[in-house]
Amino acid sequence: MAENIGEKLKNYRTAPFDSRFPNTNQTRNCYQNYLDFHRCNKALSAKDQDVAPCDWYKKVYQSLCPISWVEKWDEQKENGSFAGKI
Amino acid sequence: MAAVTEPMEHLNIECLSSYGPQPSEALVLLPQVMVLGMGLAGAFLYLIRLARGPHVTWNKSSNPEPWNKLDPTYQYKFVAITTDYKNLKKDGPEF
Repeated sequence: MAENIGEKLKNYRTAPFDSRFPNTNQTRNCYQNYLDFHRCNKALSAKDQDVAPCDWYKKVYQSLCPISWVEKWDEQKENGSFAGKI
Repeated sequence: MAAVTEPMEHLNIECLSSYGPQPSEALVLLPQVMVLGMGLAGAFLYLIRLARGPHVTWNKSSNPEPWNKLDPTYQYKFVAITTDYKNLKKDGPEF
């Protein structure tokens, strides 16, 4: 799966279709990938595995989310005031 | 004296029951009631479809993100024009 992810990361163009979010409003898609990136980092580093595969989620949220949202959430994470469950 | 009271005869209390459509006249309104009923039923059924959808979180403690429990080939929309749902797979790595 890790080699597969390496391939996918190399050939990445944009966020693929996600059947969980089929409609025009992709807000939740953006937020879910942001959460998944941080959850993946937390889970894989807790198991002492390489966190590089988590970059898939990072690429997807960077494709989808407005930059101001990402900056705001990153700032909230540093403050400890981020509302999402990670 | 009768000439003075005659016009008022139409305004006493017993005459009020004959105002409004008679049952036979009201039948022409039946299509409107049927269509209204269908509209209300359709709206109510669609509301139920939305409430049961995977995008709603009803119970924050036991099922906070129901959309994450779906299979990647799950189709929410009724008609799939270009999307090939059968061959979709989960993209990101497991964790």
